Amino acid sequence: MSFRLKLMLPLLAVFTASVGYPLLYAFYLSLTNYKITARYNTRLVGLKQYIATLQDPNYWNALQVTGTFVLLAVFIEFWLGLFIALALQKQKRIRNFTRSFLLTPMFVTPIAIGLMFRFLLNQQLGVIPTFMAKFGLSYDFFGPGKALYSIVLIDVWQWTPFMVLLLLAGLEGLSRSPFEAAKVDGASAFFTFRKITLPLLVPVISVAVLIRALDAMKVFEYVFAITRGGPAIQTMTIQYYTYQTGIQFYRLGLASAMSYLLLIIVMVIVVILFRRIESTRKNP
Amino acid sequence: MASISLKQIQKSFGEVEVVKGLDLEIPNGQFTVLVGPSGCGKTTTLRMIAGLETVDSGVIHIGDKDVTKLEPKDRDVAMVFQNYALYAHLSVADNIGFPLRSKGVKKEEISSRVAEVAASLGISELLKRKPKELSGGQQQRVAIGRAIIRNPQVFLFDEPLSNLDAKLRLEMRTEIIRLQRRLGTTAVYVTHDQEEAMTLSDVMVVMKDGVIKQLGKPDDIYKKPVDVFVAEFVGSPKMNLVKGHASAGNFTAPSGFQIKVDPKLSGEITLGIRPEDVKITSKDASSKQGKVEILEQLGPRAILTIQSGNQQITAVVDNENLKQITDKTNISINSHLEDHHYFETSTGKRLN
Amino acid sequence: MTTLNSTRLKPTWTLAGNSLLILMALSVFLPFFWLSLGSFKTGAQLNNPALLLFKPTLENWKEVLRSGVLESAYRSATVGLVTVSLSVVIGSMGAYAISRYKTGGSSTRFGILAAQVLPPAVLVFPFLEVSYKFRLNDTLFAVIISHLSFVLPVITWFLIGFFDAAPKEVEEQALVDGLSRFQAFRKVVIPQVAPGIGAAAVFGFVLSWNDLFYALILAPGNSATLPVKIASFNTFRGVELGAMCAAILVAVIPVLIVSFFIQKRLVRGISGGAVKY
Repeated sequence: MSFRLKLMLPLLAVFTASVGYPLLYAFYLSLTNYKITARYNTRLVGLKQYIATLQDPNYWNALQVTGTFVLLAVFIEFWLGLFIALALQKQKRIRNFTRSFLLTPMFVTPIAIGLMFRFLLNQQLGVIPTFMAKFGLSYDFFGPGKALYSIVLIDVWQWTPFMVLLLLAGLEGLSRSPFEAAKVDGASAFFTFRKITLPLLVPVISVAVLIRALDAMKVFEYVFAITRGGPAIQTMTIQYYTYQTGIQFYRLGLASAMSYLLLIIVMVIVVILFRRIESTRKNP
Repeated sequence: MASISLKQIQKSFGEVEVVKGLDLEIPNGQFTVLVGPSGCGKTTTLRMIAGLETVDSGVIHIGDKDVTKLEPKDRDVAMVFQNYALYAHLSVADNIGFPLRSKGVKKEEISSRVAEVAASLGISELLKRKPKELSGGQQQRVAIGRAIIRNPQVFLFDEPLSNLDAKLRLEMRTEIIRLQRRLGTTAVYVTHDQEEAMTLSDVMVVMKDGVIKQLGKPDDIYKKPVDVFVAEFVGSPKMNLVKGHASAGNFTAPSGFQIKVDPKLSGEITLGIRPEDVKITSKDASSKQGKVEILEQLGPRAILTIQSGNQQITAVVDNENLKQITDKTNISINSHLEDHHYFETSTGKRLN
Repeated sequence: MTTLNSTRLKPTWTLAGNSLLILMALSVFLPFFWLSLGSFKTGAQLNNPALLLFKPTLENWKEVLRSGVLESAYRSATVGLVTVSLSVVIGSMGAYAISRYKTGGSSTRFGILAAQVLPPAVLVFPFLEVSYKFRLNDTLFAVIISHLSFVLPVITWFLIGFFDAAPKEVEEQALVDGLSRFQAFRKVVIPQVAPGIGAAAVFGFVLSWNDLFYALILAPGNSATLPVKIASFNTFRGVELGAMCAAILVAVIPVLIVSFFIQKRLVRGISGGAVKY
């Protein structure tokens, strides 16, 4: 056996056990009518679960909710993160401390962050609504039409640091010479930013946005901690809906079909974006 | 100590054949330099001797042993790399002692050998430092120390001096020669710098496009290059090469440049004259008229770029012969027939 | 550290930048601050969120400690350490083969990248089923296997990047110096990328430590990890709110401490690995 095969073997084995096998098993499950409460009646039903999923308005709602959530959250995180990264880059005093401190939210377990904001934003007991009430403002953060935006806000609070981290690394990795040339040419700071910084940063930006968007699609903890999908189904994200179907309603077959459809969507997005990133890397 | 023999070595990377059926005998105890432009296969050849690349076909012997299929560690060779390849996490002493440690030599013996080697390279006071605290020249000495400590059969050098500045390069060059002469170990050295190859080698091997163009003593190669490529590659400044037509002892280039050549020649030939063989003379029947376009002072000598009609000629002239010559001076130039190199224009092969 | 101050900024820009940073620092600090206050308040005091000065009580903290949160933290640490150790050993060997010998070409790399973005909902049900079959449900074993599914690809991905960046000559030198290929890998290549491995390990540990989804489904009961335990404090009865605050802080504090110590290195490692793709 060749040396490189010996090195690869453990990885292949564990990868097969923890990713490959479950992936295939999930596909099998998605073709059955498997329910935890009716284990012995399991049989293959073909694509019935997929058809049921596609006909389920709640599934489409969940996709829409998740899509809205991802777009909003990543958009805000990107712009906010970019400005913070720029500010951090120019900052002169107590740099390391500021950086460490601003990055902390991304290292905390999301369920704790979810519960924390549930506590802080609660209409009766939360400190933020209480202060707002002193100025005569009444705002129910988790009320109808508002809860999803509050979840977005929490995501922004926790994950903007991740954007900052990647963008800052990108900014500091840029070569100095274009900036020095711009300085010699007398370009304004804003012009330099628009015409030099942003274009040079495009590869890093696309990676950061891609990673963050794919991660945001998995949002679960905030919903689990705070709204459980409500009010009604306004915060029913895809991950939470699948969890509910599979674990609370015991329909593993249906839930597997749901997650497989999601997987297909995610893979399509990844392949398209991956190709794009590859091609911009090759012909910048 | 051992000779090395490569027989019908062939190597491709994907579609590209980088070494094409190479036969090479590297003599025992000599300093052999492989030289050629980048992409000529010299580094690949060296790496195949080391065992870092496998051969696609062919056989490699070191001494009497067939090493073609052996791992690098079983070939008893030492190698010095271009970027020194020191172990950043180890001290200088541990770096030098590494090959012995990996063989399981006793600690006391390692440290005494390390001290000995370090002393011979003048780096005894650096033994406790880490590689990143050393200058480029010092790092190169450590890399050489690591190569010589275990008395290998063969030293392999892969452009070891390319990363050093010019002054240090000359210094290390001398040092490497002295070391190799003292130890008498067979050495194979790869470089793209023909001047380095000329000064270092006992045997010089000029390569191009995966084949050996010429092999021999550097002086022989310089005096009798086998073809236009070798003629142009070896020597600095480059040999003057003029394509033209020869008949009845007269050579005429399309530019109108004319000169006397060997009367035995006829047809399309390429005439080569080394810049130092271009003589500045008083005006006479056989001399050519020219105008100095550029004069580059090198101290004891100067390089003249001369325009003679439509032909550009480079000449190297000792300063004492320069006298009143400056830019834009009109001069007469000449050359001796025995200094001429003649090549067939169609094949590039040497004719004389 | 070099800064890019080549474009001179107008004072207004600098002021705007620093104001943004101060605002952000406050928005990070204040939630943690209020949480800490809450963890020292009695049920009655919690009804008045704006209350700043009060006689602190340790009851909430005592209750949280009684509830077995430390045991959960211990379980989380076990899961994290086992997952990361396995991933580093297996991942570094595989990553080396992929980086150095181009094993499987670009499809291997893409496979490892793709594994990182798999929706957890796809894999979790098979894990649940299999763990039922082998009577491994509600054990840490099931959680570890599931965590390997995302920690291993991430760590391998990082390491591929580090191995790509490591100079080849040093290991070739080691081969010529008399080491076998595996010895060269272990004694020369690994030390070269050790800082990177450290960063990847910490990053993988944080991922495992923070996971709720898999742990909640595979081990919701006696083997609850810290996130699962914290989720169980989810309450809105005033009396238990203080305990919830304390429980959240149990998850936050170690991360704050650790991240302050290792962040600089971690940040460099993450950005070094991640910015490549």
